[in-house]
Amino acid sequence: MADFFLQALGQVSSPSVLALIVIGVLFGIIGGSIPGFTVTMAILVVFPFTFAMDPVSGVSLMVGVFVGGYSGGIVSGVMLGIPGTPSSITTVYDGYPMAQNGEPGRALGIGVAASFIGTLISVAVLVFFGPLIASFSMNFRPWEITALIVFALTLVAGLSSGALLKGLLAATLGLLITTVGYDRNSNLRFDFDIPALGSGFEILPVMIGIFAFSQLMGNLEKLRDEQGKAKGVDTSVTIPYGLILKDMAGQKLNTLRSSLIGSLVGALPGTGGTVANFISYDQAKKFSRHPETFGKGTPSGIVASEASNSAVAGGAFVPTLALGIPGDLPMAIMMGVLILHGINPGPLMFEQNPVLVGAIYASLLIGAVVMVLCQLLLVRWFAKISLIPQEILVPVVLMLCAIGSYALNNNLFDIWVLFVFGVIGYLLWKAEVPLTPLILGVVLGNNLERQLFRALELDDSWMTFLTRPLSALFLALAVASVIFSLYQDRKIQQNQLRAKNLPEQ
Amino acid sequence: MLTLTKDRALALVLLLIVAVMWVESGNIRPPTSWQPYGSALFPRILLVVTGLLSLLILVRSLITGPGERSAPRRSFGEWLGHNRTVFSLFVLFGLYAALLPVLGYIIATLAFLVTSLGLLLGIDSRRKWIINLAVSCTLVPLVFVIFRFGLNVWLP
Repeated sequence: MADFFLQALGQVSSPSVLALIVIGVLFGIIGGSIPGFTVTMAILVVFPFTFAMDPVSGVSLMVGVFVGGYSGGIVSGVMLGIPGTPSSITTVYDGYPMAQNGEPGRALGIGVAASFIGTLISVAVLVFFGPLIASFSMNFRPWEITALIVFALTLVAGLSSGALLKGLLAATLGLLITTVGYDRNSNLRFDFDIPALGSGFEILPVMIGIFAFSQLMGNLEKLRDEQGKAKGVDTSVTIPYGLILKDMAGQKLNTLRSSLIGSLVGALPGTGGTVANFISYDQAKKFSRHPETFGKGTPSGIVASEASNSAVAGGAFVPTLALGIPGDLPMAIMMGVLILHGINPGPLMFEQNPVLVGAIYASLLIGAVVMVLCQLLLVRWFAKISLIPQEILVPVVLMLCAIGSYALNNNLFDIWVLFVFGVIGYLLWKAEVPLTPLILGVVLGNNLERQLFRALELDDSWMTFLTRPLSALFLALAVASVIFSLYQDRKIQQNQLRAKNLPEQ
Repeated sequence: MLTLTKDRALALVLLLIVAVMWVESGNIRPPTSWQPYGSALFPRILLVVTGLLSLLILVRSLITGPGERSAPRRSFGEWLGHNRTVFSLFVLFGLYAALLPVLGYIIATLAFLVTSLGLLLGIDSRRKWIINLAVSCTLVPLVFVIFRFGLNVWLP
């Protein structure tokens, strides 16, 4: 592995790839710092530019966006009190009060330092656990892989809090979308006599349509009021380096704990930065000697929040690379990009594309260094950029999405796919259907069908799924995750009822 | 009379889609003698699951009632009016997709950006027009140059 890593490092440190990582990190930070834009949207906007690149360059650019995006949320969180991405919600709890107390530079500096360490720890987790899980999963046969995908989908659907039925429905709809067009036996399905449907839907226009339209239109509806806050914000920030070093020296345990939580949560399918954020913030508060200072501008809160959400970056790569199951939504898009470049993430990737795996490790490490430098040197500019209103952003991103979808195959039909799935995504979002399971369904649909049929061709008994221990374990976990979600849904409903019955204060 | 809530509308639309796709799945070629299961099996499993989940959502919405509303109930016209910006943007995007092959990238994209920025930013001041034209006239050629010369992608 060391040879491949050195080979990959050689490729990644070429001037052109380094430049791409810098561009990716810059764009990621900008994307993360604009409220409502999110890491996922930044990745979606950048992906068309990877079409003409070789896999290492394309992946390095995307990894740069990924690393930058997760740290970018801190800028608007601290300056405006609006989380740039959902994964930096708890950053606002302490970052904004600290900025309001006249120390925005300190808040940003602590956040950036914690992000950097979080990313480094998560890369260590990826380097250590990725190959281990991959070599273990080499023993998986079609039954185990089918059961594992079912488990991942139910887990993601179940995590859509308070909406288990809709989460499961979304996952099934995502799978159903992949059944349009010719199947593996060259039989045509659901073409409704429309020739263009024969080749099915390209994954990326479908994902962009579903996610980008619902997100952008939702932003238009939600964020207008919030951006009123942006008026009159002072963006002149000075970073007090000495004070930040002192702050970080007192946060060693908190940083390590939060980074490990982020890496672990990132590695679980469907969880992502938001969940990691809340868990590590809660843990930091529980372990703190001064829990009463949380929410009032304590460095511990910022460290917990930023170390954990940045650590998600490395953690989320573990299941994606080792099992071919994306850890979260941005990773699902990353997986789409890898597939586009002819690389199928999964256990075999470590054997078949070791240099590319090494390039991902190296890009994450270099991206983390670039991120710190960019954030510390250019934070004033990022603070200014975070003030771009949604009214300008939405049409520009829609245009880029359209051109990106077209450029995929130089095919105008893909723009219509984008549009139709954009309308569907927006309507589903309005109906409060969670979109992450839908997108994961779209990404995993073809593989699920392929593995299911491979299993049935080898042994046409469905009982084999239950008689093979690992396959049975994954299916049992799938059932358990559904039952646990039902229990949680019930608990949420009871709490809501109880809250309603309480007399008004 | 039963009110059409979000959940009920979602369930009914999905049940309709499931019915149409189930009928269409009858056109899928049946399995050959060497295949244990045909190409229709996987989509049919998914259609059954989708149908069952939609039914459950429908039944649950009927049992629990329409639920509490934080906002006052609106008529369809009022709802359309409230969301007119979003709907207009969808219409503009649809027009853009339709006109792209006819007008070509430069004119169609410029028209889309100027119109949609006008819709969202407003057209009631000189400053807004300057922002609108600056964004549109910078981005359209920039994206063209990046795709055409940087990435070798021919835009329509």
